[in-house]
Amino acid sequence: MEVEYSGDVMTLNMGPQHPSTHGVLRLELKTDGEIVAAAIPHIGYLHRCFEKHVENVDYAGVVPYTDRMDYCAAMNMELGYVLAVEKLMGIEVNNRVRCIRIVMAELGRIASHLIAAGTYGNDIGSFTPFLWCFRDRERILDMFEETCGARLLYNYNWIGGLMFDIKPGFEDKLIEFLDYFEPQVDNLNRLLSDNWIFIKRTAEVGILSPETAISYGVTGPNLRGSGVKFDVRRDEPYLGYDEFDFEIPVGQGEYGPVGSCWDRYMVRIREVKESCKIIRQAVAKLTPGDVHESIPKRIKPPAGEIYMRTECPRGELGYYIVSDGGLKPYRLKVKSPCFTVMSAFEEVSRGAMISDVIAILGSFDIVLGEIDR
Amino acid sequence: MWNYFRDIGLGIVTVLTSMGVAWRHLFTRSVTLQYPTEKWTMPERSRMRLFNKIEDCIGCGQCARACPTDCITIQTEKRGKDEPEVFASDGTQIKLRTYVFDIDMALCCYCSLCTFPCPTHCLVMTPEYEYSVYDKLDHIYRFAKEKPLSGKAQKPHSEKTESHGQ
Repeated sequence: MEVEYSGDVMTLNMGPQHPSTHGVLRLELKTDGEIVAAAIPHIGYLHRCFEKHVENVDYAGVVPYTDRMDYCAAMNMELGYVLAVEKLMGIEVNNRVRCIRIVMAELGRIASHLIAAGTYGNDIGSFTPFLWCFRDRERILDMFEETCGARLLYNYNWIGGLMFDIKPGFEDKLIEFLDYFEPQVDNLNRLLSDNWIFIKRTAEVGILSPETAISYGVTGPNLRGSGVKFDVRRDEPYLGYDEFDFEIPVGQGEYGPVGSCWDRYMVRIREVKESCKIIRQAVAKLTPGDVHESIPKRIKPPAGEIYMRTECPRGELGYYIVSDGGLKPYRLKVKSPCFTVMSAFEEVSRGAMISDVIAILGSFDIVLGEIDR
Repeated sequence: MWNYFRDIGLGIVTVLTSMGVAWRHLFTRSVTLQYPTEKWTMPERSRMRLFNKIEDCIGCGQCARACPTDCITIQTEKRGKDEPEVFASDGTQIKLRTYVFDIDMALCCYCSLCTFPCPTHCLVMTPEYEYSVYDKLDHIYRFAKEKPLSGKAQKPHSEKTESHGQ
């Protein structure tokens, strides 16, 4: 009788309290020595029953709950929901609301990518970029707080308009921030991105080929890191993004194969610069107007269904809303970008070293609040 | 062999570059704030602790309907015809007597949706942020001052909270 020796496979649990899992994620690693034979993610530790719960909340009351899905980019989360309901009700907002929404969404994108870059550096082992990124993000949060009163969970985008108009002098503060911030991105590059140790650590691990990325439905910076030029802002413009002039950075594979961890990281850094460009254009397009102009007295969409997708910092965020003509949504389904990238995690991490699992997971930039909802 | 030494050389050069960036940072102003001694001035739109000026409240209950977490409990009764008329500070007649107006700040999600429909602008979010307590029930703020006349039993909010199970 022949028995095939399978090697000494050990099960290693990573998480749910591991600091590098960015939340409460448990990874079940089947390790063969230092090599990961399989990495099985177990999600659901942060499940808050969002989709079922909002069936009992009226349409305006859902917005604070959408904030709590991806708390790193709450502005973009609520923007997607608000746009979906507006599309269902057929509300057209004026130019001022559109421009302010774009400014806020891009500021949210910068803040979110700063967290992504900072914590990625922290995962890999450099602490300074983490603090520097949080210092710059702080200034964005201050601007948010001044405008809507909250630092993290804004409830700023309302169905048909905005909570408040921006304060007088906000544009000057914004330009001042951008003038300060754009050189800081180059500083961050010198500090972390071009660091040869960092490059050697990330440039040849976690290769996500374009074919794998597309077949798993990966979106956002993770897909663009694999060299696929796809961005909902360009390919299916909402809020008039087609009037803006911006590039879509893709991974170029300067230090190794395309689709590595370094490519995904670098796409985010380049996107931050593009966001600065968009904000400058949006401020120039700002026209006077009333931000409460098209807020409906009673939010009661007609019976029907709608799917609206927007580009949030972590990828394509989709809201599918079914309305039965009542005051509360009949069904609300969220297509979350982090959930799809988590499904590709096992494929990418197979055959990697144990220490590279952290690098791969950090480069995906997941937020567990959005995966579990 | 050549790559090995090239990696070491590039590693040293790039680390020195990043240390140069960090070195210049030593001479900039500190961005941190020593919290309990120094305090941040909150912007006027800050959304922190809820406050209700009960003298102006007409008991319409629009805030309780707007709240997505149902943290506001209001119970009212009609004022009798022989009672003197009461007016809010903006001149609105208060036809209802609000004998329960409880806000459970432990449930509040600070979305500020309750403050906008208020017709007399008596419910506001204040910039005050230091109000931690030892007991969770201390987070229930009871704003109502009047007592019911019709003899209805006043149901305290704490019973309701406890019946939910914690």
